[in-house]
Amino acid sequence: MEAFIQPGFWIFVLAMAGIYGVFSLGLQIQYGVAGVMNFGHVGMMAITGYAIAILVIRFQWSFWWAAFVGVALAALGGALLGLSTLRLSGDYFAIASIAFAEITRYWILNSDGITGGTQGTLAIPNPRGFGGYTDQPDVILYWIMDRLTPYLGDNASRDLAILLVVWPFFFLFLWISARLQKTSWARVLRATREDDDVPRSLGKNVFRFRLQALVIGSVFGGIAGAFWAVQFMLLAPEDFLRIVTFYGWMILILAGATRVKGLAIAAIFFGFLYGATRFVEFWPISLLSAPERSYLRIFLIGVVLIALMVKRPQGLFGKRQEMVLE
Amino acid sequence: MAILEVRDISVSFGGIKPVRGVSFSVEPGSFTSIIGPNGAGKTSLFNLISGVNKIDTGEILFRGEEVHGLHAHQIAERGLVRTFQGAKIIKRLTVAENLMMAVQGNPGDSLWRFFTPRSRSKFEKYARYLAMERLDRVGLTKYADEFAGILSGGQRKLLDLSRALMTNPSMILLDEPFAGVNPTLVEKLLEVLASMRKQYEITFLLIEHDLETVMNISERVIVMAEGKIIADGLPNSIYENEQVIDAYLGSRKRGA
Repeated sequence: MEAFIQPGFWIFVLAMAGIYGVFSLGLQIQYGVAGVMNFGHVGMMAITGYAIAILVIRFQWSFWWAAFVGVALAALGGALLGLSTLRLSGDYFAIASIAFAEITRYWILNSDGITGGTQGTLAIPNPRGFGGYTDQPDVILYWIMDRLTPYLGDNASRDLAILLVVWPFFFLFLWISARLQKTSWARVLRATREDDDVPRSLGKNVFRFRLQALVIGSVFGGIAGAFWAVQFMLLAPEDFLRIVTFYGWMILILAGATRVKGLAIAAIFFGFLYGATRFVEFWPISLLSAPERSYLRIFLIGVVLIALMVKRPQGLFGKRQEMVLE
Repeated sequence: MAILEVRDISVSFGGIKPVRGVSFSVEPGSFTSIIGPNGAGKTSLFNLISGVNKIDTGEILFRGEEVHGLHAHQIAERGLVRTFQGAKIIKRLTVAENLMMAVQGNPGDSLWRFFTPRSRSKFEKYARYLAMERLDRVGLTKYADEFAGILSGGQRKLLDLSRALMTNPSMILLDEPFAGVNPTLVEKLLEVLASMRKQYEITFLLIEHDLETVMNISERVIVMAEGKIIADGLPNSIYENEQVIDAYLGSRKRGA
């Protein structure tokens, strides 16, 4: 139980919630607005994260340029995924998008010379011999920690500094996204979610609209990847398993796919579930060993998703009518 | 000059040939009905004209421009819009949004205009104004901000028609607007169509399987059967056409 009263635990939960919140915001635009079922969103996170690590470590780029290029590459990844497969209808696109994320991960796993392969970013060839990729953002994070230490002591951790950076960005993105969803651009997309023929017959290039939504969502996926890369300081291929995409989906469904404002609260709820099953030691969870508990997490997430689908298909904050109208 | 010219178009899907060498032209401002039994190729013909499907052979000209190679949305942009069988409305948009979506030239449809909120909101107000005006005409004002999914079948038809009109088209293709509609509402829809014709210079091409419904409103009737045009002329002349009686009207005419 003691983990619950440790501020460190909550700080970690909230920091992760912020990163996952940005991640699921991308899915919200893709699915909640455009109806595009992207099950390969984690691929965008992987692309940006690894692009940063490789550009900084191997090519000695500035972190900021690397982050910019990394996010641009995620957008490009979304565009390529869309151009090649978005003409497929709903379910088929979902399958193709899983394949995209898996191809990305396997490429990372097998390109030892570039990505470090199974050993992760630690094994990226480094002309300086040694070092990570977070030196530049760390300057900012440590500056924040130094300012807070007099008041918070040991609690002024790197996690807290990340939390304080990520959440303002998350709120900014939520605000931008909420504005975006009031435009007529989003209205056309909400129409395509139901039917392609009608918007087309009214002169809307449905493919262009969908592709734009996919790319914007991928940008948010990429930004989440950049935060993730800073938070963990090293990356490995197994950070980007399929399940991560579904964590994002769970937040989205929890919030209600069509409601952008619920995302923050849903992200915290998820962060708690994610953190609690990892660190909390109390009966009956304490009966399970650590690896068993990680399965429990996946199991719990499944249960929550099914319960939501049955009881509240609109999520915690959505309008029921919008989900069930026939 | 004809507004729409269809020259010897054919299409086949696998072994089926729904449209086989159809040619006709439509004069601007006219009201033409295409009738024919189920499976005559009427909807397939509409799908070809509106760009939903591509023709195998032939030519389609709209206002003198070849349109058979264009995408559906490009054809709609040129002022040739269609409705679909069974009133396809967007159920999870509000009634007003259904109409606002159809207004052409909305700068807000471009993602880049996200950064010019003024021009967007100005157009949005204009679109809303147009939508409310149109809803008033068909008596749906009180549903403006409800999800369109709550509308009844008849109201959906009215919304569908109004939406096609919102694009400010020069020609509308109506795919069985009277299917599954009770006689009172058929009257109302016919009234709406007649008033649309009076007010705007729109050319109508309509699909219907029952000749009598469109007798009064049509200036010309084209009869299709098995993918071909078997008769073309004034509504009254169709009744006397031997081929039509055999292929289509036969049984009922004889029974009467």
